[in-house]
Amino acid sequence: MEADELLVLVAGGDQKAFEELYGLVSGPVFGLVRRVVRDPAQTEEVAQEVLLELWRSAARFDPGRGSALSWILTLAHRRAVDRVRSARAATEREQREGRRAHHPAFDQVAEEVEAGLEREWVRRCLDRLTSLQRQSVTLAYYDGYTYREVAERLSLPLGTVKTRMRDGLARLRECLGGAA
Amino acid sequence: MSFLDRLMRRDLHSLAAPYALDALEPEERRRFERHLRGCVRCSAEVRALTEDAVRLAWSTAAPAPAVLRERVLAAVRTTPQDPAPQPSRARPAQSSSRARDDWQPARARAPRLRPLMAPLATATAAAALVVASLFAVQATQTRDELDRERAQAREIAHVLAAPDARATSERDAQGRGIGVVASASERRAVVTVSGLGTPSGGRVHQLWLMRPNENPLSLGLFDGDTPLVADDLSTRATSLAVTVEPHGGSAQPTTQPVVQLALESVGFGE
Ligand SMILES: [Zn+2]
Repeated sequence: MEADELLVLVAGGDQKAFEELYGLVSGPVFGLVRRVVRDPAQTEEVAQEVLLELWRSAARFDPGRGSALSWILTLAHRRAVDRVRSARAATEREQREGRRAHHPAFDQVAEEVEAGLEREWVRRCLDRLTSLQRQSVTLAYYDGYTYREVAERLSLPLGTVKTRMRDGLARLRECLGGAA
Repeated sequence: MSFLDRLMRRDLHSLAAPYALDALEPEERRRFERHLRGCVRCSAEVRALTEDAVRLAWSTAAPAPAVLRERVLAAVRTTPQDPAPQPSRARPAQSSSRARDDWQPARARAPRLRPLMAPLATATAAAALVVASLFAVQATQTRDELDRERAQAREIAHVLAAPDARATSERDAQGRGIGVVASASERRAVVTVSGLGTPSGGRVHQLWLMRPNENPLSLGLFDGDTPLVADDLSTRATSLAVTVEPHGGSAQPTTQPVVQLALESVGFGE
């Protein structure tokens, strides 16, 4: 069964359907959260929250507004971004207060291992963007920076960053169109 | 629809991509989501761009640890589900059906909002009118003026884009008005005047920033009704004032202000 159908069953309280849905989406959800949040313990926490939220708020899914998978991954991304931003804010606070922020080592190794075909495609397509398009898109999506922060990091006007993000995504769409 | 509304909308239209990438700040995100409800163009764009962003997600997929599965499935057994949301139209229609309708509910839903922090959208219509009238007057023909207007519109849009952008204005009995759109976080403001007329004898209208325990700081000379954009404003500034000064302006005000505007309501002054 597809995620869309499963999600409808889950909304009706079907735990078996949830298990099946879990099998379909836990990998993408976990991987995405880990890519953004990076810290292993926090990744598990956020991924768990997101997957449980799927159960709780499945009824909120509106098939008229897109696929179940993009709804799920959009939710996961937002939760991951929220977490990484508040973690960053806390770190900055600690540094301002002169306390030392201790971070668990980032889980780089695991990231290297997962070099799937899809990843290879996306990487190739990202390579086709201009460098500013690529950085604008990836700093926001993979690293959880706001477009304001991206503008600051790249020393670009806000308007330029918004445009680079849009054009970058559009070019990505063109390139990935053949990869589905 | 006033110029300010159009400007706000145009600026909001450009947020579809940052929104799809989750790259908006919370307040901006909420503002854009309200906009989305009434903007077909942005809804369509967001839908498409979100699908693109999700492609970026797929490439990061990685097997979740088995322990996560156990924990989630266990939690599911004991976690109640939220009921389906009400269709949005079912909300009792208390607000009128004006074009700016989508801005209103937020104020209704957030009664704890201090007036001081009222978002720009809820600021006085007078401010919008001031800006709108300026640009109406400015239906100018020359290339230079058009370019300048465009640059100005960009500057204004930039100030408006700040999450804490606020507007306020003042108008006296003689119809002399001053309006400001300001962002304390960006320390920028766009200041407009209206109904001041042209001073005689080559004299000019000069804009001043008033700060506690400091001399007034010149923010520049008005050229007719063209807005002035002020950067690097001290967040301790308390008010704006306009005086009539000799040709070329003065180092310090030499006359009483013709119009004055407190900045407290736009987030300045501590
Ligand atoms: Zn729009």
